[in-house]
Amino acid sequence: MSDTTQFTPAGARFLDPTVLSRIGTLNLLARIVVDGFINGLHKAPYLGVSIDFAEHRMYTPGDDIRFLDWRVFARTDRYYVKTFEADTNCNLSVLLDVSRSMSFGSKGITKLDYGRFLAACLCHFSTQQRDRVGLVTFDSEVVERVPPSAKHLEVVLHTLDQVEAGRPGNLARPMFQMTEFFKRRGILAVISDLYEEPESVIDAIKPLRYGGNDVIVFHILDPAEIEFPYNDATSFQDLETGRKMPVVPEKLREQYRALVQEHIATISKLCTQNRIDYALFNTATPLDHALFKYLATRHKLTRTR
Amino acid sequence: MGLLAPLFLLGLAAIAVPVIIHMIQRERKEVVEFPSLMFVRKIPFHSFRRQRIRHWFLLLLRCAALALLVLAFARPFFHAAALAAVTDGAREVVILLDRSYSMGYADRWDRAKDAAREAIDGLAADDRATLIFFDSGAEAGPRSTTDRASLTGLINDAELGAGVTRYGPALKLAEGIFEGSDLPRLEAVLITDFQRVGVESASGVRFPNGTALTPIAVGGGDEAEANVSVAGVLFKREYFSGRERVVVAARLTNRGAAPITGLDVALEMDGREVETLTADIPPHGSTTVDFAAVTLGDAPMAGAVRTAADALPTDDVFNFVVSPGQVVTVLVVGSGRASAEANLYLTRALGIGSAPAFDVRTTTSGGFGAPDLEGRQVVILNDAPAPSGQAGRALEAFVEGGGGLLVVAGERSTWPADGPDLLPGAVGSPADRAGRGGAIGFVDYSHPVFEVFAAPRSGDVTTARFFRYRPVEPGPGAAVLARFDDGSPALAERRVGSGAVLFWASSIDSYWNDLAKKPVYLPFVHRLTEYLGNYTPPTPWFSAGQVLNLAQQEVALGTGGLAAAEYVVMSPSGSRIPVDVGERAGFIDLDEQGFYEVHDANAAETDLLTLAVNVDLAESDLSAVDPEELSSAVTGRVGGERADAAPPREVGSSDLERRQAIWWYLLVAALLFFVAETVVSNRLSRTVLSAE
Repeated sequence: MSDTTQFTPAGARFLDPTVLSRIGTLNLLARIVVDGFINGLHKAPYLGVSIDFAEHRMYTPGDDIRFLDWRVFARTDRYYVKTFEADTNCNLSVLLDVSRSMSFGSKGITKLDYGRFLAACLCHFSTQQRDRVGLVTFDSEVVERVPPSAKHLEVVLHTLDQVEAGRPGNLARPMFQMTEFFKRRGILAVISDLYEEPESVIDAIKPLRYGGNDVIVFHILDPAEIEFPYNDATSFQDLETGRKMPVVPEKLREQYRALVQEHIATISKLCTQNRIDYALFNTATPLDHALFKYLATRHKLTRTR
Repeated sequence: MGLLAPLFLLGLAAIAVPVIIHMIQRERKEVVEFPSLMFVRKIPFHSFRRQRIRHWFLLLLRCAALALLVLAFARPFFHAAALAAVTDGAREVVILLDRSYSMGYADRWDRAKDAAREAIDGLAADDRATLIFFDSGAEAGPRSTTDRASLTGLINDAELGAGVTRYGPALKLAEGIFEGSDLPRLEAVLITDFQRVGVESASGVRFPNGTALTPIAVGGGDEAEANVSVAGVLFKREYFSGRERVVVAARLTNRGAAPITGLDVALEMDGREVETLTADIPPHGSTTVDFAAVTLGDAPMAGAVRTAADALPTDDVFNFVVSPGQVVTVLVVGSGRASAEANLYLTRALGIGSAPAFDVRTTTSGGFGAPDLEGRQVVILNDAPAPSGQAGRALEAFVEGGGGLLVVAGERSTWPADGPDLLPGAVGSPADRAGRGGAIGFVDYSHPVFEVFAAPRSGDVTTARFFRYRPVEPGPGAAVLARFDDGSPALAERRVGSGAVLFWASSIDSYWNDLAKKPVYLPFVHRLTEYLGNYTPPTPWFSAGQVLNLAQQEVALGTGGLAAAEYVVMSPSGSRIPVDVGERAGFIDLDEQGFYEVHDANAAETDLLTLAVNVDLAESDLSAVDPEELSSAVTGRVGGERADAAPPREVGSSDLERRQAIWWYLLVAALLFFVAETVVSNRLSRTVLSAE
């Protein structure tokens, strides 16, 4: 499982998000995308009862003696306990940014649509794993919240279907509110365009990890936001603030690109430092490809635990 | 350099427009929505303010065009000393050119035109000039113009007139031009022969202070000594073998100092030379030449007396139209009971006179009948009872048809109840004036009957004494033309139809008054009869400058009046003169010497009316006045005195600007720049499009 391509089912790869956007229901969309994936690719974030051996460790008083590895004791005369991957169901909560900047899309699909599809796919996928799925949408505050539940897939999909980008966004406040929501450890998938300073982003997201959650940041950007392909001098309007600014793109394109790459690199670096998974998704990237990339990363993380 | 409208310089702010356009020329109007300008804001100097200007040449073209346009509207002008000097010397020149017929003497007219052309050639660039032609009136060409070509063209086309010299109107016109001028120097150039006859009209004209008048005399000192003119003609009518003949007597005048001998004088009738005589005229004298009698036909004849041409040919001919003698037919109706002498004074008075002659027939009231009225123009009821019955109705119809009736009161005059209603009022019984009798105390001299007596010593009807008369109570529509000193009407008039009825309240012989023994009796009776007979004396000639009223010529023309007729008037030069239909309907200006012809184009057979027009012979007196005399009268300065240094007028900015007219060049330059801008920008657009 070292190569992600081996998980790719034939005929279901690299579906164009623009094509996917023509599919009416998120349920069907998610099913199309997720079909063919191998179940159990991800493991529970904590060790437990499973058939997958994880590691040996020294016995300490209180450990269940059922997990003593007697063969090792026979060879070494020391007590070692066998630990297994906790191959169990878990909570997956998708934290979807619905701020106004997410409504931008230059290639027929907006970032919000892409995030919505991604969230649906993740939820659908996780449901097949018998995981509990939940959803929180936020901008500068928490907008909608669907608590994680094994039966909440339809509610989540319906909520995702109804979501609209409206107000300006701000990570700090809603994230602080959300720390109260996740008492039970689980996987938190943050889907946002992260238009804040990298330090602010990390400061906002970092508390989510304090409960032992695995936090995955899906950084969604439109290709135009990365490449800045504009040519004509014109007025640009900030979707969040509404402020207009005359801009001559050809004069600042290079600087812009450099700033965006620096921003991405800084966030990625800070996420790594804080043990937060980070994945940059371009809305032109097929969803399944994005899932592969994520799951491969997830798998590696699991193996290296 | 100054600006007449500096506020327009604010328009230079418009130069910012092309600059801005060049700075943001790629900026589209639509707004691009972008998720966040967080990164854009971090990039310094991203806005158009630091945008590089493209197409510098195009920008300069646009800016220059706008700047030129704004500058043109600001109306710039130069204060440079050289220019100021030129403009300070600008003159308002008025050239007055005499075109009276005396200027036709020898080569005066050509010299005058040459002098006028020289004056125009002497105009500086900033000078403005006005050309005035004058004789008895004045006519100005384009006023205060700098267009020398048009002035020269006017002079080349100018022709001599038939008028007399009158300086007044022309100088008055020039005075008005000077007063309206804003140029610092005012100059008048008077080109004339300085005839003395025209000077008097110049009194009261005074040019503005500082105006210079340059007299240019085209007349020579001794030229005035040799001019013969035909001063006029007289007609003596006589009858020979029942045909009317006329003897034309021409009066010739020599205004020169030398006697004239052997001068040929010719009489032309209807264009043919009839007789030529030789005349001798003493210096500064005149003589009369009698031609042989000419038999007249039924129609008027056009004639002319012509002498051999001298230096001034205009006054060497005298035109006239001699008409056959007119006759007024009169029927005198007397009382059968009156003495044979009752009509004596009246018939004797009417028997005298040739213009018109009176054809008098007498009858009595008893024998009066309708056939007696045939061919008669005037009926005089002299102390006779009014006809009644058929004769009375015939008399009434006669008057209504245009005939004249004079009713003379007397002992036997009665007016029966069934008589015609013709009297101007109720006539009473005879009233006596005791003692020395009465006299006429009021006369309406504006009436045609009495207007010939209006002038002093031209006849006084008030000298006659009246001892008896019939009082009249004027009825409605009657006019009292004369009253006795007691207020009773002496002569009353009533219009009946197309004719007129006059009632004379006293007798017209010596029974009731002594008027018949007064000198005024003869012309008085003549005027009464002429008036009732609608007699209009023919005019043998008119003077140039007179105005002809066609309405007064309708008898001669025999047409139905202005409303019905379409008059065609041909001038002596052969041009057709339009007859006005407005306020001046029927009035024709007789400006040329010679014969005018008038006829009615609507009438199938109409008489051709010929009118002779002669020049005013006052102009033949070529004696000249000293030019300085006229100049000093007009300018208020004596001969050698220089014109007062005109107070240096400060030439206004508007004058400077108007003369320099720099705005015009700037506007043209701006237009060229805009054209160049259009070409360049089009090419650049095509280049960009092809590149894309």
